[in-house]
Amino acid sequence: MLFNSIHFLFFLPTVVGLYYLLPQKLRWILIFVSSCYFYMAFIPKYIFILFFIIIIDYLSAIAIEKNEGKLKLTYLIASLSANILLLCFFKYFNFLNDNLAPLFSFFGKDFHPINLQIILPIGLSFHTFQSMSYTIEVYRGKQKAEKHIGYFANYVLFFPQMVAGPIERYDRLGEELKKEQNLIYQNISDGLKLVLFGLFVKMTIADNIAPFVNQIYNDPLKHSSEEVLLGVFMFSFQIYADFFGYSTIALGSAKILGIKIMDNFKTPYFSKSVTEFWSRWHISLSSWFKDYLYIPLGGNRVAIPRWSLNILIVFMLSGLWHGANWTFVVWGALHGLVLLIERYFSKIFMFEIKKEWSLLNVFLTLKTFIVTSFIWIFFRAENFNKAKEIISVIFINNNIKFNLISLKIPLIAIIGLIIFDFFQYNSRFDKILNTFKTPYRWAIYSFLLFCLFALSGTENFSFIYFQF
Amino acid sequence: MIKKIVIKICLLILITIGLNIIYNLTFYKKDLAEKCEQILEINNNQATTDIFYFAESSNFNSREDDSIKNSISEITNFFYPKLKFTAINKPASHAGIFKKWLTQINLKEHKPKAIIVTLNLRSFDAAWIHSKLETPLQESMVLAQPYPNLINRFLLSLQAFDNKTEKQREKEMLNEWENTQLIFPFPFKYKTVKEWDNSMANGSYVNADGSWDNDKIELACHYVKSYAFNIKESNPRIKDYDEILNWCNINEVPLYLNLLAENIEYADSLVGKELVFLIKENRDILVKRYSKNNCVVVDNLELVRGKEFTDQTWTTEHYSYKGRMVIAKNLAIAIKNKFNSDYKNLY
Repeated sequence: MLFNSIHFLFFLPTVVGLYYLLPQKLRWILIFVSSCYFYMAFIPKYIFILFFIIIIDYLSAIAIEKNEGKLKLTYLIASLSANILLLCFFKYFNFLNDNLAPLFSFFGKDFHPINLQIILPIGLSFHTFQSMSYTIEVYRGKQKAEKHIGYFANYVLFFPQMVAGPIERYDRLGEELKKEQNLIYQNISDGLKLVLFGLFVKMTIADNIAPFVNQIYNDPLKHSSEEVLLGVFMFSFQIYADFFGYSTIALGSAKILGIKIMDNFKTPYFSKSVTEFWSRWHISLSSWFKDYLYIPLGGNRVAIPRWSLNILIVFMLSGLWHGANWTFVVWGALHGLVLLIERYFSKIFMFEIKKEWSLLNVFLTLKTFIVTSFIWIFFRAENFNKAKEIISVIFINNNIKFNLISLKIPLIAIIGLIIFDFFQYNSRFDKILNTFKTPYRWAIYSFLLFCLFALSGTENFSFIYFQF
Repeated sequence: MIKKIVIKICLLILITIGLNIIYNLTFYKKDLAEKCEQILEINNNQATTDIFYFAESSNFNSREDDSIKNSISEITNFFYPKLKFTAINKPASHAGIFKKWLTQINLKEHKPKAIIVTLNLRSFDAAWIHSKLETPLQESMVLAQPYPNLINRFLLSLQAFDNKTEKQREKEMLNEWENTQLIFPFPFKYKTVKEWDNSMANGSYVNADGSWDNDKIELACHYVKSYAFNIKESNPRIKDYDEILNWCNINEVPLYLNLLAENIEYADSLVGKELVFLIKENRDILVKRYSKNNCVVVDNLELVRGKEFTDQTWTTEHYSYKGRMVIAKNLAIAIKNKFNSDYKNLY
């Protein structure tokens, strides 16, 4: 089920109503059933993949906790393997096949790839990573194995965040789901504010930018350098508004139920470096890779060449996590590379300026935005050829006149997003709004409602991160 | 807490009413022009219109070599120079769309003297009902729903309409062709469209050298898929035309259903008399069903010769000038029952 659908507008109030009417001991059943229903609105049979993950990791965690030594490690490896194999089969099978063919032919061997018509289960990368974090934490002894399969199932399935994160840890979300939540006015109020704001960001901002960006990326050679450059920058805003919008609705929906989930974004385009960008963008994924890959690889406690390699491995795998395509790997690698350059030349690039909005900081913010925007080209382009076309059109004037129509609404949407981000810098929409006096608050609600009702995009684009 | 919530909900409703007014004054017309210009045309013309003519592409389509390009509604209007006809057309539209256009007519402002709606036989077939064009058609009608305009606009963003994918619609169509039994009052070897189509596809036309005449085979198959069906009570178009008739009856507006001509000649020569039987039987059902109260069915089914159809390699209701003229004249004569004093015999 999409957040930006009529079904969700009926689904959420129904779940909330029933949730507060039911006694605490029955609420887990409601969350479980409603989450299954939410997921089954996409491709119903894929719910069994989630059940498989839940059963494997639930049993593995108990076995890990009960055993010691090699057996404990074996259970962990079994659990991780099951998750990774599942992910590999659904997400990387065709990618692997496509790449084995040229590799075999390079060595003069014949290889006939079997191309399976696999549809990637929505949000699979999110569920598997979330579930794996649980078994790893149990293995590390930092988390007790959950004995109640219903609670564990809800941790994997919790509908607000099941298909596109944030990738939560069991010690946070698991505990939140178990807690008895009372009907508190402030939770409902803050949750609704976040849902409204999230819908506004997704439907009014991202969905109005999307047609323009699609036009550019579908056929860059038909456009002028200025148009393509504008398209590249606009995609930065589109993907941010799309994913941030989703995360905000997720946060708000959970908050209405009294359940706190983590913030996945903190105004990332106000970062002064790519290093800072990654502490503000898709925070739950960055911290997952940090805790379960970067640190086990040695983190920064190793020699510089090894550390550099660690950074590149983490970022390339993070790229691959997003999609089974080399363009994603290059996208990750470029981020890793820029991060390394920043660190090596930290004296030049990492300025310590106390005044938050000094001219230099504004310059660094712009620099970071331009760099990340260029790297996004590899994320958005279907393949290297398209990415090459985009880059070549930007730098080579192809004598095509700027002829894109109806740029007004996308540009106003972007300016609106920047203004909202400026106000919620290092904070959050609901918290900022609560500091306003009632008339101002209602004026903002009215503005958001009008934009959402009257000006949102009419093509209803699915959330970009659902494909991962 | 409950009191607080109730107050806020009331405030929210008031704000939404206010926003709806602002929307009507600002973006509504722009959205209509973008998504459903037909509603805008109705709104703009209704004060001066005597007769509305609702149609699909049959009305305005002309043949390349036509020296006169006038539409059926325009030609009909020539017979009634004192009356103003307003044509509201959209390609691929059907009774389900026409009935929504009807509700846009503000009768308090000005009541039209008559409504003419095309009655297209093919629009009752599975291919049209489950056409991939249905999704954009349905999308274009969201703004015409009986809710406040602001809510309709939001429903459009949420894609809250019959928004099936092309694949889903194709599946439904194939299912109908495969499972719906064809009913004949005489023995006939094919029970379903699929069986009939398969038989036509397997060498029904062979050239002198023994090879298959694939163009002819494809056209014959297409005729089978377009016309091999029995109109039943459950057909969604029946419900739509019933609603149109009902609207006209309640509002006392005379209704003319302009039953379009089909290429009977080709149906006969390509497929055979059984297909022609079905076409005529379906025509009879419609004429019988709707020739009542203040509704007249104008039967043009067999009036246009095969060569006067614009598309010779497909089934459409697009006619040459001569074809359009024949239909317009027949329609003009049919509406004389109400507008005899305005009639002018031109041809």
